[in-house]
This record gives sequence, C-alpha cells and structure tokens, in this order.
Amino acid sequence: MNLSGKNDSNPASELEQNLNLLRQTYFFSGIPLEALKVFAYLSTREKFKQNEYLFRQGEDDGQAFYIIEGKAVLEREVDGETKSFRSFKDGDFMGGLNLLGEMRRLFSLKATADTTCLILDREKFAKVLEQFQDVMPRIFKALVMGINNWEERFLADRTDKCSDCMDQLGVSLL
Amino acid sequence: MAKADTPVVKRSLFSWILAGNLKLQLLLLLIIIIMVFARVLPLEMQKRIINEAINLRNIELLFVYCGVYLSAVIFFSALKYLTNILQTLITQRTTARMRKDLYHHILTLPLNFFRKTQPGMVVNALIAELTLPGNFVGMAVASPVTNVLTLLAFAVYLFWLNWLLALVSLSIYPIVIFLVPLLQKGVNRANKKRVDTSRTFASRIAEAISGIHEIQGNGAYHIENRKYDSIVDKLLRIRIVWSLFRFGVKTANGFFTSLGPFLVFMLGGWLTIKGQLELGALVAFLSAQERLFEPWKELIEFYQVYQDGRINYNRTMEYFDVEPDHEIVPKDREPLDLDGSVEIRDLSFDTDSGIRLLDGINMSLSPGEHLALVGFSGSGKSTLALCIGQLYKYTGGSVLIGDKEVSGLTRKDMVNNIGFVAQSPFIFDGTIQENILYSCRAITEGDGQEKEDDQPTLDDVIAILHQTGIFADVLRFGLNAILTHDQDKELVDVLVRVRKNFQRDYGEELADYVEFFDENQYLYYSSVAENLIFGTPNRDEFANANLSKNEYFLEFLKQADLNRPLLSLGSELAKQTVDILGNLPPDSVFFEQSPIAAEELDEYKMLVEHLKKKKLHEISDTDRQMLLELSLRFTPGVHKMVSLPQILETLILEGRALFHEKITGDDPEAITFYQMAEYIYSQTILNNIFFGKTKTANPQAQERINQSIIQLLIEEDLLEGIIEIGMHFQVGSKGDKLSGGQRQKLAIARAFLKAPKILIMDEATSALDNKSQARIQNLLETRWKKKSTVISVVHRLDTIKNYDKVAVMKAGKILEMGPYDELIARKGTLYELVGKK
Repeated sequence: MNLSGKNDSNPASELEQNLNLLRQTYFFSGIPLEALKVFAYLSTREKFKQNEYLFRQGEDDGQAFYIIEGKAVLEREVDGETKSFRSFKDGDFMGGLNLLGEMRRLFSLKATADTTCLILDREKFAKVLEQFQDVMPRIFKALVMGINNWEERFLADRTDKCSDCMDQLGVSLL
Repeated sequence: MAKADTPVVKRSLFSWILAGNLKLQLLLLLIIIIMVFARVLPLEMQKRIINEAINLRNIELLFVYCGVYLSAVIFFSALKYLTNILQTLITQRTTARMRKDLYHHILTLPLNFFRKTQPGMVVNALIAELTLPGNFVGMAVASPVTNVLTLLAFAVYLFWLNWLLALVSLSIYPIVIFLVPLLQKGVNRANKKRVDTSRTFASRIAEAISGIHEIQGNGAYHIENRKYDSIVDKLLRIRIVWSLFRFGVKTANGFFTSLGPFLVFMLGGWLTIKGQLELGALVAFLSAQERLFEPWKELIEFYQVYQDGRINYNRTMEYFDVEPDHEIVPKDREPLDLDGSVEIRDLSFDTDSGIRLLDGINMSLSPGEHLALVGFSGSGKSTLALCIGQLYKYTGGSVLIGDKEVSGLTRKDMVNNIGFVAQSPFIFDGTIQENILYSCRAITEGDGQEKEDDQPTLDDVIAILHQTGIFADVLRFGLNAILTHDQDKELVDVLVRVRKNFQRDYGEELADYVEFFDENQYLYYSSVAENLIFGTPNRDEFANANLSKNEYFLEFLKQADLNRPLLSLGSELAKQTVDILGNLPPDSVFFEQSPIAAEELDEYKMLVEHLKKKKLHEISDTDRQMLLELSLRFTPGVHKMVSLPQILETLILEGRALFHEKITGDDPEAITFYQMAEYIYSQTILNNIFFGKTKTANPQAQERINQSIIQLLIEEDLLEGIIEIGMHFQVGSKGDKLSGGQRQKLAIARAFLKAPKILIMDEATSALDNKSQARIQNLLETRWKKKSTVISVVHRLDTIKNYDKVAVMKAGKILEMGPYDELIARKGTLYELVGKK
C-alpha cells in the first residue's frame, strides 16, 4: 500500500507499515482510510525486552497494543500469587476497550520474548474521534461484533471443566 | 493616605481628589492662580500696544509692551506645562492606587463571588474602567479652578470695557447651563449601558478563550461567533448613541457660544455706527469675548469627564462591593496557634439559592487523627472539606478547630495552621521552586517578614520532592536543561568527565535506548541538518533554522550532490504530512511528530498545491527554500511518514565528512564538532552525559535510564546540582508544561513542605498512577499520623483501610463513621460501596 498512490523505489515508511497493520485488526479495519492514516501516524512503536511488562494489573494505562513481533503472556495476581493465563503472539491486538474509557487492568501482560508493539493511547484516540465524526459508529459496530464473536467462540470451545463459570456467562448480554 | 478602614469599594470618587494628593493639588492651585493673571496680561498689552504705542507712534513703548507680552506668553506656557505635569502625576498615581486597592480587595472576596464573575470582567474593570475616574481626579482641582477664574477674569474685563455689551454677550451662558445637563442625562444613560455591556463583552471573550478546546473540538465556531458578534453589535449601537449624545453636548455648546460674536456685532455695530462706541473698543471687546470660549469649552469637557468618570467608577465599585467572608488578618492580636482538633456540631451549608448541601453533620477528630471522607459524587464530601478549611462559609451549626469557631477566625489564623490541596490544584507561571515554596512564602510574607532563613532549606525541599515522588520529574527537567556558555563552568567540566564513566559503566546496558553520537554512523534521532553539521554552530548563520538561507551551506549542498535528493525528500515530506494533518486543528497531539509546525501548515498546503502543478525544478525560489528547510528538519526516528532512502543516508554521511573538511579550512571557528572531550552547548545535559540522544519515550525505558543516571549522578555527587537546575524549570502558564499528575504532586509537595497542623486533601491524588498514590498514602501513614490531623476526600476506596476513621456521606449527611474494619463488619453503606468496586 502506498499512501501517495505512486510507485517509487523508496522502502515503505513506518507510517505505511503501521497503516497496514491496523487494517488487519478487527477494531480498526472498518474505519475510513482518512482517519485510519491519522491513527497510524499517531501510533508509536515500542520494544519490550523479555520479562518486561507491557502493562500491569490495577493500572489504568489507557493503551491498546498490536504485537508486531514477539510473545507475551497474561498474568493475574490473586492473594499474592501470580498465575499465568493465555498467551499472545505477533499479529494479536488487545486493549480496544481501554481506548474507549477508563478502566483498571485486571491482568498484567508480560513479554516472554523480546517484543515489538504498536501502541495507541486513549488521549490520542479521543483527539482523532473529535475530528472524524464517522469513526465512532464503526468502532462500536466492530466492538459489538468482537464481543459477540468472543462469546460464540467461548461457547463453542467450552469443556466440562468450566462448568463453574457457565453460571456467569453472558458477556455479550452486557 | 486614605483611611485604611473604608474598603475601596465604599469610597466615593471625590475622596480620591485630596487623599494622597493634597500637596500636589495645593501646588497646582497656586500655579493656577498665577496663571490666570499671566493670561489676562497679554490682553491688556494688546490694547495698550494699539491705543498707546501705535497710536502715539512710540517705538520705545511698543518694544516695552511687546516685551511684556512675550514674557507673559512664555511664562504662561511654562506654567501650563508644569500644570500638565502635575495633573498627569495626580491622574496616574490615583489610577494606580485605585487599581491596586481594588485588586487587593478583589482577591479577598468569597469563592462564591468568582463563580458568578468571569476573569475577563475583572480584567476589564481593572484596566479599562478605572482610567476615566483617574482622569477626573487629575482634573478635579485644576480644571474648574482655572477655567472659572479665567472666565471671571475675562467677564470682569468685558464689563470694564462696556457693561451693556458684556451683559448681552454673557446672556447666552444661562441657556447653555440649562441645556447641557439635559443632554448629559442621555449620555449617562448610554454610558451606564456601555459599562455593563463592556463587562459582558469582556466575560464573553474570556469564556470563549478558556473554552477554546470545546469550541474547536465541536467545531462550534458559528455558535461562538454568533454570540460574540451580537454583543459587539449591541456595544456598537450603545457606543454610537453615547457618542451622538456626547457630540450633541459639544455641538449645542459650540453653537450657543458662537452666537456671542453675532450679538456683539449686532449691538456693537449698531452702537459704533451711532457713534456711541469707538472702533478700537469694539475690536478689543470682540477679541476678549472670543477668549471666553476656550475656558468655557474646557469646563464643559470637564463636566463630561466628571459624569462619565463618576458612572464608570460607581458602576465598577458597586459590582465589587461584596464583603470578604472572613477577616484577612487579626487586628488586635497575634495570629493564633491552633491545635489540630476538629469538632463539628450540627453543621449545615445552604447555597444562595437555598439548596442544602450539608445537613446536620456531627463529628470530632482529635489532633493527629486521620479521616477519610467517602461517598458518591455530589454527596457533599468536598463541600464539607471546604467548610472546615474556611473556604466556604457554613450557614448553620459550628466547626471548631482547636476549640475556636472557624467562622470567627481570620484567614491568617487558618493559613498558619491548615494546609489545603485542592481537587484541581492551581500551579502558577514561574519555576518549580517558586511553586513549591508558594505556601511557605505566603505565611512568612503575611507575617511581614522576608527573611530568607525562615524558608525551607534545599535539603528540606529535596526531601519533600523524594517523599511526594516528584523527584524523578524534577531531575528530568534538570537533565533536559540546556546550559549556556556563561553558566556553570565547573559543572560543564564535570559533565564532560562523567560522560566517559557513563559510557564505560552503563553504555552497554542502555545501548537499546540511546543513540550515541558516532562520527561514522547516521543518527536516526537527529535531523538531517544535525547529521550534516555534526556539531554546535557558533555563528547564527549556521543555526538549524538559518541553514536553508545560508549561501555557504547551499553551495556545499551542491558540491555534495545533496541538493536534488534533499528537495525531493522535502517534497515527499510536505505531501505526506499535508495529506495526514491538512485538515486537523493545531493541537500538539497531532503536531508532535510532524516536521511541519501547526502555524506553518497553511503555507505548506499552498506549496503542495504548487507541487501538483509544477515539476520540482520549476517551482519558485521561496518554495524551494521551504522544501529544503523541511528536509533539513527530517528526523527518521520521529517523522514516520517518510522513510530515509539508503542512498541518501550514504550521501549525507559522506556530506558530513566533506563539510567538516570544508568548514575547517574556511572558517574553523564556525562549528564546534561533537567530540568526547567537548561539552555540547546545543544539547541538553542528559544528551551531554549520553553523548547521544534518547530514542524512546516509553515510560519503562525512561525508568531504566533514570535509574542508571541517578546512580551515576550519586556516584559523581552531581544529583543536588542537577535537581537545583530542574527546580528552575519554568512550568508555563497555569503549569501547562506539567502533566496532571505532576501538577498534583507539586501541589501536595507544596502543602507537605508547610507541615500544617491540619491537612485537608480534596481528592488530591486523583490524577496519580497507582505507585505514586500508594507512595503518598504510605507517607501520610508513616510521617503524619499522630502529628497532623488529616481530612482526606477520597475517590478510590482501596486507599482508606489505614485511616483512623472513615465517614461515608450521602446527600449532605454522614451515614456512618468509624474505623474501616468496624464499618465493614457492620455491613452498612461502606460495605456495599467497597463490594461494588
């Protein structure tokens, strides 16, 4: 994808690369190109070394992450004990809800290998929303679908081990 | 001086005339009386020159009279100038005193008052509305006395010349005296409206400017323009009516007084023709009568200034005629030293409109106890805290601090014993240091002393910086400071020495976060210009902003085959940046990573339009220079919209060597090249220690860098020095160069440094991250418990466990109060609130 629409020998700029990455996420894929370019422009790349935290439980960091390269694992500390849950890898996007409103992290995310991420924060996100009226409805649409898909998948994948949590089901009914 | 007891808003305009100006006014009076004689004298000389000198053909007498005439005129002019000086002095001193007194009064008014009053209105009152009253005071003695005396003198002279003519020509003035006040009523009505509308006008502007984010965010230009325009139009109409009436007064006055000569011609002509009056006498009479006009006009003008000034003055003073809720300083005793106990009985607080925000509050705290106020927003927690702190005047019940009723204490008593951290603390323009010492200075200066030794020492301040967690921020400000050539020669030497130790001890560890200056490497976090020059310019023409206009440098670019590729890079940058930012507002969020500054965007938009129509070699010289300028700013690590072609990178690196060689031959003093042994004055202290630039803004990386740097600074005994430099960081208007968290930490530090008996914190940690919040909480528990009473309005319930007491509020009442564990065990409202979280 070339922003200016012409083809030259220059390698793709970081902005173009970011743009292509964002288009692959469920969250941003439906957004008009003009606004998406601004998101791509405002996103920053950060490197995390192995065992560094991308975010920590209890914090309100207000950031969304796209993992460009590397691996990370979700952790939750309960009563002084840290348990690990699912892993994320390159191509995964997380934190869309964080962009929409204040919330404290329920988990920590730890890099299990050297990891490069594309990061967008709430303040920048909100500034762009102010400028592009047509973005918010599409974000909501994507989000609703995202939540619904998640629960559908959860129901499909469920095993008997999880019988306890079945009583709490219904994220998509929120 | 004026009686100190009368508040400025109760003083009449007349009280300013003599107060503080008595000597000046008396001197003025004396000069005026002399002046009146100096004014009539030329008239008499005029008559004598004609009647005696010319008629008798006496040259000697002509010289004498002309000499007297000339001296009188010179003397008169000198005196006139002197009176102007005196008048100006009186006017300006009075205006200045009015402005000071009114401002001093305004600062003491209750918070409530400012909720209804826009800052713009206050500005307008202090700057614009007091000018005319000041003018009036300057004229108040001089103008009436001069002009009435002059008028009288001329009138007597006229009667002396011919009583009948005098009587007829003076008969006009009673008509004017009757007519002018009638017209003036119209002027006054319009002027009152003008003052009021100017006030709304000023408020309107101030409101729009402070709400500019909302306006731009909503694109509400039309709404705001409409509101503003309608006030301007209203003001326009009022001002026109006002001016028309004012001119009406002038014109009526002018018309009637010019009837004077007409009457004199009629009657005087008739008398002369009839042979009852000499021609010479008629001429003298006409001449004298004409001179009546000037003082009369001035009198009328004075009358207008008086009327307008009176209205401006009264309107302004009436508006601010509000009593402060509490006395500022105790009159007949020393400020009290209170203990930290708080006793509240049946406290209530009603707003002006009768809404009850607090109702039947009872509680007591012994000195050193810590209380957390919790509840939903709107439950009255903040109101209660503000009532205890005397910032709101409660309407019922009582609050006792150290057994004294708060409503009966002066502000000084409170300030000496109570520290207050507001919900959104205000940080003033100035340095970090000034802001941290603000509360302490307020106490000592309030005591009338300015002794330096009463101020906290640097060690105290540093301890507080540590405790409140703003230390790292201040250190960063210090590290980001750019030293000037004449500053801290010693420090500069040490920093250059430290640089080597840094690279030895931490270089490897921080290599990921720092790009070191290396003569043979391209610097991705420096601009193209910096990459080429690779040093600090010692001459203005080599400063980054001037390079694109520097002939020598342009010639060099050609030699290095860089001209075309840079223009092409600039054009690509311009196109891409305009494509992304072209329609966005000038918000720093959007422009932080842009090579084009917000204010240049429009120019570059035009340039991009030109580029669509023309080839690169066809564009104008100005456009060419703008493109070159842009490409020289290009910093690949920051400006992500374009990538740096490999070939250009190589060319620039070769260019760097070429430039070095060329400039060393032509002008060796022009540039100080980056070298390990030289301090780089164009770079920050941090970059100097690094001998490189930070690559990332990631907080974790920053934290790592900070730790290494602090370690290094401690080893080298530099920490204090850098902190001191950081303390001189200018925080900007309203502290806008600080983050919300930094502002809050600064406000907490300011209150902690004062170490008050009672500390009131109104959601004082709401903008802090978890760690900083925990740090403050910990500090309160370890250092302040049993020493100072703390009343803390809390929005997050995870911090309240260790408070001695928790009070849960709802709808202006305390539902339950007691130790945390007790309330939780009771399973009441707190239990529910915590459970919900």
